[in-house]
Amino acid sequence: MPEQWRDGPTEKRQAYFLVAPAMAMLLLVTAYPVCEAAWLSLHRFILVFHDWRFLGIQNYRFLLSDERFWTALANTGYFTLVAVSLELVMGLGFALVLNASFRGRAAVRASVLIPWAIPTVISAKAWAWFFDAGGPGSRLLLNPDASWLGTPGYAMHAAILVDVWKTTPFVAVLLLAGLQAIPRDVYEAAEVDGASWWRVFRSVTLPMLGPMIAVALLFRTLDAFRVFDAIYVLTEGGPANTTETVSIYAYKTLMRAGDFGYGSSLAIAIFLAALGISLGYVKVLGRVLGAAR
Amino acid sequence: MKRVGTYFAAAAILGFCLAPLAWIFFHSLRSADGSISVVNYASVFEESIFARAILNSLLVASGTTLCCIALGASAAFAVAKLEFVGRRAVLAVALVVSMFPPIATVSPLFLIIRGLGLRDTLAGLVFPYTVFALPLTLWVLSSFFREIPDELYSAARLDGCSPFQAFWKIFLPLAAPGLATTAILVFVFSWNEFLFALTFVSSPEKRTIPVAIALFATGQTEPWPEIFAASVVVTVPLVLLTLALQRKILSGLTAGSVTGF
Amino acid sequence: MEIGAEALPNASDVAHQYFLTALEGGAVDFDVLVLDVIWTREFARAGWIADLSFAVGPELLRQEFFAAAAESAIVDGKVFAVPWYVDVGLLYYRRDLVPDPPRSYRELEQDALVAKSADARLQGYLWQGKQYEGLVCNVFEAIWGHGGSAWSDGRLHLQTSEAVAALAYLRSLLTGGISPASVNSAAEEESRRAFQNGRAVFMRNWPYAFSEFQHPDSPVRDRVGFAALPTRDGAYGQGTLGGWNLALNARSPPRNQLAAVQLIEHLTSAPANLLLAGAYGRNSPRPALYRDPTLAEAAPQMPALLPILSAARPRPPTAYYNLVSDVLQSEFSAAIAGVRTPETALGRAQQHIDRIVGQHA
Repeated sequence: MPEQWRDGPTEKRQAYFLVAPAMAMLLLVTAYPVCEAAWLSLHRFILVFHDWRFLGIQNYRFLLSDERFWTALANTGYFTLVAVSLELVMGLGFALVLNASFRGRAAVRASVLIPWAIPTVISAKAWAWFFDAGGPGSRLLLNPDASWLGTPGYAMHAAILVDVWKTTPFVAVLLLAGLQAIPRDVYEAAEVDGASWWRVFRSVTLPMLGPMIAVALLFRTLDAFRVFDAIYVLTEGGPANTTETVSIYAYKTLMRAGDFGYGSSLAIAIFLAALGISLGYVKVLGRVLGAAR
Repeated sequence: MKRVGTYFAAAAILGFCLAPLAWIFFHSLRSADGSISVVNYASVFEESIFARAILNSLLVASGTTLCCIALGASAAFAVAKLEFVGRRAVLAVALVVSMFPPIATVSPLFLIIRGLGLRDTLAGLVFPYTVFALPLTLWVLSSFFREIPDELYSAARLDGCSPFQAFWKIFLPLAAPGLATTAILVFVFSWNEFLFALTFVSSPEKRTIPVAIALFATGQTEPWPEIFAASVVVTVPLVLLTLALQRKILSGLTAGSVTGF
Repeated sequence: MEIGAEALPNASDVAHQYFLTALEGGAVDFDVLVLDVIWTREFARAGWIADLSFAVGPELLRQEFFAAAAESAIVDGKVFAVPWYVDVGLLYYRRDLVPDPPRSYRELEQDALVAKSADARLQGYLWQGKQYEGLVCNVFEAIWGHGGSAWSDGRLHLQTSEAVAALAYLRSLLTGGISPASVNSAAEEESRRAFQNGRAVFMRNWPYAFSEFQHPDSPVRDRVGFAALPTRDGAYGQGTLGGWNLALNARSPPRNQLAAVQLIEHLTSAPANLLLAGAYGRNSPRPALYRDPTLAEAAPQMPALLPILSAARPRPPTAYYNLVSDVLQSEFSAAIAGVRTPETALGRAQQHIDRIVGQHA
């Protein structure tokens, strides 16, 4: 575009007006609450008693020694690691299948969107029935009396399964787009060379998918880290807090107990952790994307 | 051999994606004595709770979609077509907001919404929903705007349009498919949202669908058949919509993530 | 007088959350609230419910109602609620398998083992071990059964030898096979259903279960008895006090207040108690009614509840109970599931509770 139109003086002026409403909303509803949450976290604030006292960093000192928080963080980490790995591997598999040509492909591609479209709450309820004592899932257990959602250890994996079911299709869609972007002649060249399918996959497909995989990883990791809906509906963090992720712990402290002071410090801790993950990923992604170019 | 393998894998994928829907559907048809009947559906419609919840979800989702497009379209256009200081910053802010853990904003938002008198109202939900759906709006719409040739912009400016008029008269109509895609994605997002709906709305008659289903428990036990009947009622339109609009959705999801960078 | 009513979700903590967000938001669309017995102090301190002493004095309450029920409605010498109906934790046993109810934990274990040796499919003792408020009731009953107390000098003391012993005892029920693994995820209904299907010898539950057992198509009809909970040394067991009180919304407009108080008085009157008992199995909070022949006619099993209800013991009467309970639920659940030792669990619980209540001078 001729430069005079793209960054002319009118453009520069009007651009701000065009962008202002959206930016204002974004900052207002995110930057402001985070600052407010930080402020709240420096106080003792029990909502219902209108208990309000300045504490300085006492909440954070308690947080550092709060085993429940570290356990929740560990649970969240485990959940994220396992769920994202499974989703990536399975999603890649799905994408490869959906990229192949076969009759009815359009129908399968369409149905792959369904887990994404259904509210998480509903899919969690469906799986909750599955894992309930007496449901099909419990028949797979060694001890017929126990239930998946009531046994420490098992419950976490039930939650992971629900998340994997819901989001593998999303990852598959992303990776499919990436696969479709790989030019045909790259494959043909490899075939002419007589390379095996696995070789082609490893040295051609995977590297070209690199950026897409990185994007999928970033979003999925953050989503898994922030998980709330599925766990709330399945177990509410139980049994014995073994499925309690950081979001559930913060939610219970804030909205069940009404402890806005300590709850806000938990929320800020989560925010900082998410920020750390994002920054870390962006750095790595920058390198990966740079290499792909 | 590869053909058979592909079909088998495709069938497995189909089964994987549809299995829970299948058992929800079968169990929703069970009545108390184990026979097949639609008594659960009757009770879903009788109980105004679900009818109201569907209405509430519709209102909130529509409101959010309208607000997102109203606020986000002009910003997406500016980001896609104009050069200005802070263009990168806009994209960066959008990215950061999309990475936000919503739980971090729950307590202050609760206080703000309460202060505005919007607690336990549907408008109080549209407000945070719009914000969290704006990044998605920005990405999808800006990638659609980018597809529209620059010459149209130059031509419009030559004709004497201001940038805003160029946006309003030329680009917005041309981006109609993009608007449709964005609308669908935002609609689905706010239809499915749970945390804010759980926190900011307390009265049973103002609940949206996810909360109504999560908290649906009459008596001491989980009435699975009824919950599933309600779920089917809610899911079927979503599924049909998804199947009908799958191309748009697919392109939107991928556009959103690619241009995120 | 026009009365509207709204049913809240059945789960107590969901109802609590509703009240929290509604009353914090200054809701005035309801005048009379139904409160769980554990909420009175909290709601009074938050200023959500009105002082009813002008209509009902504390002495009258103590005279008319069970001691524990009255105390659940009195805060700092003022009446903030009126008891509506009460519950107490008690022991159900199969009369056809065990002639006399056990008085001590040892006896319970022995009786369970004897019954199981005759029928290997039987489970011994069912109770509620899921991570929710019901678990807290079960644990307190065990603590009291070991002769301990969690509340003294106006504070919660959890790190006592009796508390450790109580948690260890409950855990041992699971590891020893007296209680099945399903107890870990059981709330009242799961236990009741299993017991009603004839699968167990003993169960701890609330009085409501009995009328379920007497249903025409219940497999255990006429074969179930109930008694006070057993204790370590055979003393008369103390069950947790449960139940619901009626209170007045403090923000209720003055013109509604009189009518609301009248409604509360009407609903909690002795005749209303009788009606609720007969038609809905709600246990009256008035001891005098249990000697009334009309009650025996309407609900034959209720008179036997009198001694058990009289011995009912409340959970720690702190305004912070809601916050405290969340901590207790996590830690008790962890100890019962074997995720942590009782000592660690109680230590962590105390640490959190001290922060919740102790920072305030």
